[in-house]
Amino acid sequence: MNTLALIILIFFSGATLAYLSSLISNKLPGWVALLTTMTGTVLFYMSFQNEQALSFSIIGLNLEWALDNYTILFAHIIFGLGILASLYSVQYMQNKSQQGSFYANFLLSIGSMFGIIISKDFISFFIFWEIMTWSSFLIVVWNGIGFRKNGIWYMAMSAIGAYAMLTAIVLINSEIGTYSLQAFFNAVQENAIDNLMLVSILLLIGFAVKAALMPLHIWAPRAYSNTPASYTSVFSGALSKMGVFGMGLVLIRVFRFSGLQDNFDYALVSQFTSHVLAWLGGITAAIATLYALVQKDAKKLLAYSSIAQLGYIVIGLAIGTKLAVMSALFLAIMHAVFKGALFMAVGAVERQVGTTDMTKISGLIRRMPWTFFVTLVSIIALAGVPPLSGFVGKWMLYEALITNGNFFLVVVVFFSSTAAFLYSYRILFGLFLGQEEDDTAHVKEAPATMVIPMVILALFLIVTGTYPGIVFEPIAHGMEYLGFTDVTWNMTVLSNVWGDSVNLQYVSTTIGVAFMLALIFLTFKGRKGTRGVSTKDISTSGEIPLEHENLTFQLDFFKPFERAAAPLYKRSITKIYEDVANGLEALFDFTRKIYTGNGQTYAIYVVAFLVTLLIVVQNML
Amino acid sequence: MDFDFQNIVTISVYGSAIALILIGIYAVLIKKHLIKIVIGMSLVDAGLHLLFVAIGYINNGTAPIFSPGYEDAATNMVDPVPQALVLTAIVIGFAVTAVALSLVIRLYKHHGTVRIDEIKSLKW
Amino acid sequence: MNISPVHYIALPLLAAFLIPLLSKLHKELARIVPGLVFLYFLVISVVLMQRLETQPMISEVIAGWSAPWGINLVFTPFSGFLVSLMSFIGFLVWVYSYHFKKIDYMPAQKYFILLMMLVTGSIGIVLTGDIFNLFVFLEIVAISAYSLTAFYPGRDGAEAAFKYLLVGSFASALILLAIVILYTQTGTLNMADLAVKMHEVPHYLKVIIFVLFLVGFGIEAEMFPLNGWAPDAYSQAPGPIGAVFAGIVVKGGIYALVRVVYTIFDLSGVGTILIALGLVTMIIAELAALRQDNLKRMLAYSSIGQMGVVLIAFGIGTDTAIFAALFLMLNHALIKSMLFFSASYLLYNSTTKTIKELTGMAKHLPFVSFIFALGAFAIVGLPPFSGFWSKLYFLMAAADAQMVLLIITVLSVSVIEIIYYFRVIGKIYSKDETSELEPKKPTINSVLVMTVLGALIIIIGVYPDLVTDWIHHASDALVNKSNYIQNVLTENLPR
Repeated sequence: MNTLALIILIFFSGATLAYLSSLISNKLPGWVALLTTMTGTVLFYMSFQNEQALSFSIIGLNLEWALDNYTILFAHIIFGLGILASLYSVQYMQNKSQQGSFYANFLLSIGSMFGIIISKDFISFFIFWEIMTWSSFLIVVWNGIGFRKNGIWYMAMSAIGAYAMLTAIVLINSEIGTYSLQAFFNAVQENAIDNLMLVSILLLIGFAVKAALMPLHIWAPRAYSNTPASYTSVFSGALSKMGVFGMGLVLIRVFRFSGLQDNFDYALVSQFTSHVLAWLGGITAAIATLYALVQKDAKKLLAYSSIAQLGYIVIGLAIGTKLAVMSALFLAIMHAVFKGALFMAVGAVERQVGTTDMTKISGLIRRMPWTFFVTLVSIIALAGVPPLSGFVGKWMLYEALITNGNFFLVVVVFFSSTAAFLYSYRILFGLFLGQEEDDTAHVKEAPATMVIPMVILALFLIVTGTYPGIVFEPIAHGMEYLGFTDVTWNMTVLSNVWGDSVNLQYVSTTIGVAFMLALIFLTFKGRKGTRGVSTKDISTSGEIPLEHENLTFQLDFFKPFERAAAPLYKRSITKIYEDVANGLEALFDFTRKIYTGNGQTYAIYVVAFLVTLLIVVQNML
Repeated sequence: MDFDFQNIVTISVYGSAIALILIGIYAVLIKKHLIKIVIGMSLVDAGLHLLFVAIGYINNGTAPIFSPGYEDAATNMVDPVPQALVLTAIVIGFAVTAVALSLVIRLYKHHGTVRIDEIKSLKW
Repeated sequence: MNISPVHYIALPLLAAFLIPLLSKLHKELARIVPGLVFLYFLVISVVLMQRLETQPMISEVIAGWSAPWGINLVFTPFSGFLVSLMSFIGFLVWVYSYHFKKIDYMPAQKYFILLMMLVTGSIGIVLTGDIFNLFVFLEIVAISAYSLTAFYPGRDGAEAAFKYLLVGSFASALILLAIVILYTQTGTLNMADLAVKMHEVPHYLKVIIFVLFLVGFGIEAEMFPLNGWAPDAYSQAPGPIGAVFAGIVVKGGIYALVRVVYTIFDLSGVGTILIALGLVTMIIAELAALRQDNLKRMLAYSSIGQMGVVLIAFGIGTDTAIFAALFLMLNHALIKSMLFFSASYLLYNSTTKTIKELTGMAKHLPFVSFIFALGAFAIVGLPPFSGFWSKLYFLMAAADAQMVLLIITVLSVSVIEIIYYFRVIGKIYSKDETSELEPKKPTINSVLVMTVLGALIIIIGVYPDLVTDWIHHASDALVNKSNYIQNVLTENLPR
């Protein structure tokens, strides 16, 4: 049997099995899920070097599945995160009820993500896309709380995206008579598609929803923060990358290498669209960062941060030069790794302490050292500071923007990645540093099966900080599939067009040594001069605070900043959406009044309708 | 014969059929009393039936029977199909009226009124 | 015994007559006999569908008068498709409601007789080749539907039934009038013969007849603005009857409309009218469903909306579109009846039948809630459930006809559909609070029915080829009008 089909089958039947096993014991589904992801992952890695393809037909539509290098790149993200998350999940979900439905949807979404990337035709692409959507939706609403606020928005936005995509798909089919992706690319090259721009924009809308691009992002913060952490890492790390995957295909494969650049109108529109997208990416990055800054809940903070990071990736793809795309894909992988790690770390805190509210927790460093370590490494990568890999991606992005002349975007990106320091510091400080609270004194480190996946991710960040080439290799192959030629990369040396080059080995060695020295120094110095104070021992200018007043410094952490950006926060996009939705609903509700409830009115409708039709139709036919 | 008695009959039959239909529609659409509405529906039905029979009728026609005494049946018979159909339609109309009246009784018991504009608990 | 389409009509009529007598022998017979009839329907459907493999259609002449003089029943792949579907849903409804009114058998007896008549009437509409006969079957359906709507004295059933009756009597009057005019012009009532002689009718009269039929059948097909009765009737009738309305009765109305448009008339430009009417029907219905707080009314509006889509598909009229329309009808019959089945358990002990009362129902009724959610997923067209394929084909047909705006409208309305269906799911699975309703555990036979439907929805979703051949034959048969006429008129000499 074909391996691709087998992997899909394993995940889908694993999902069924996970659900059924929950009928026997609530503990079983976790293990079933772990076993399934392991089997699937092993099967994939055993066979991904081979050429593989499968095609079959269903009600006269040809479906094709195949592996290519671009696919493999994303498959690494999916399987890498998938297996770690399912390992992490077993203990994380330990005491929760209804694990059957959680794991069934967990496996369904991983399987369908794999399905998306191997699809070489629009029909199976769309089918898997929708399965991914509803399975992740079911996890978002899995805990059954706040459905109206979280679930509906996610589903509605996803539906808008999916239907935009579906419209594009059927339009393509009506023009070229087939659903094959390859045929679509060929047709684009031959200029055989009349409303190509409409189709591409519709496709982009579909992908932008999943990539949480503003203004289609409003589902994301709520959905991310409402899912169990073991899934959030996959949700934010891998699932949102499906939007990136699709955007890459449209923006690069279609816009850039369509061979239609000589067609003036076409080139103009495609460039315009790309520009708009790049700017939307920039705005997304900036605004989401601002929102992340003021969050008091660590999970919400990470959710906004995810949106911001996806903004960078979209910028890179929209700019579309070789370097920009490379940086985007690099950032995509790195984002999957560090955001996966961060969500897991926060999830560990949530499980051990019971909350992720940063105003309630502090000083967990001694209680959960491993989690602290993972968080530290991840936020360094997130903030884009050397020596970790986030730096490499940012470096390339800046260079790509500057060489392409998008100076203003550079400013935006620079602003938001600086602000990213602030919030990543907040999460580190809020959860782990500061004084220990009495009520967290009993907290222990998370169990080993939760720590190991996080640490693996953190180590990966450290290694790729020095040897980014590990990641560049699959990216380069993937970019060749998209149409780039001569994609060069280097294992440890970063160089730019102006002749500068950075040897990352030196950088990381230097920083590593300095860090060690500082650590030793601080440890010795710190031994002597510390005085134990409570977090609430803050100068209160003579006023005596009441018992219940929360004086943790996490409250109003960035108050001055918040005050400065207040007008921005006031005009929340979410609010606008909600107002529009409520207004529309009230308007739609009005149509119901036609049905007055009086039978006679209905009879009058019949007669009036008859007379109208007699008049209208007599003229028409 | 200029002044044709048959013509007057024909015209008055058609005329009364149409008048019945219109009166019926008027009752159904304007009258508020449930019984009057039901009567209106019956009137519409009756008008239609009359119309149908009138259409099938031929002046001085014979019954559509091939037997001694009806030798010209093949050329001069009244079309039997409308009559057959009307018989069926009358039966149906009867059944519908019966159901309607029983519903009116039920409505009166349930709502305590027979005005259609006061029975609006199901709406929107 | 030689199986023929006549059995569809004769047997249930005989059974309806015998049931009151038989139940004097044993009370249980009032329940069992209708089931046997439905079972026999299934058998005939299978046998006749088999026979269609070798011959294009089966035309059965009643009382020895061949067409166009006598009344004939025509079993084409198209009508066969609908008849089999109706028999299947009818059988499921019977299984589901086997325990209906377990204690007092008199209401149960009435219920089952009326149910049988409702299904028989709908099947008759589809089978008959005679326009007046179609009218008679329509009235059989209507009268049994009125009675079933008013079945519960405690509810507002009588009100709903009266509205239905008021509008329905208009439908029958208009159809009768149309038949009268048609008969004066052509002198025939056989539909195939009518199609041949249609060109003799002056154009203005043709249009008038067409409009009369359109409005008359439009009432049964729940076309806007003629559908005011539908939400009332759906919500007041006993639960399984909602499934019958959505799965069987509406299909009969749509069939009649389509038969008239496609076979009898040869008017050009009808497609546009159907598209416009379907579009308006769909939009208004889905908008009305959005804020609906009564679950069954919501389902009814959704049903109307789906019928709007079917009308649009028939209006587009290409081969793909008709295929899509029939597929939509199949899916709608399966899914909507499943939704009604599960909804009536969810609301079993509720007096107000509002969605509000469903909060946290999943805890008490996990299986039923699951089935409802599955149905909601399928009806909004999420893959891999059966609703997806019909939607896809519908959109393909629209795209081939270059109707981009239509696609966008339909899909925007679909978003609304998703929102209101998922709101209900959210309520059912909510853990914020729990409902105070006393849930009623589903009986084994209803669980069985829901499982069968759920499995079918998934199986068709994963492997649609299971039914597509069927549907292809059906749509070919509908499109191929001359074939129909020829077969009905020439090949059936009196026995």
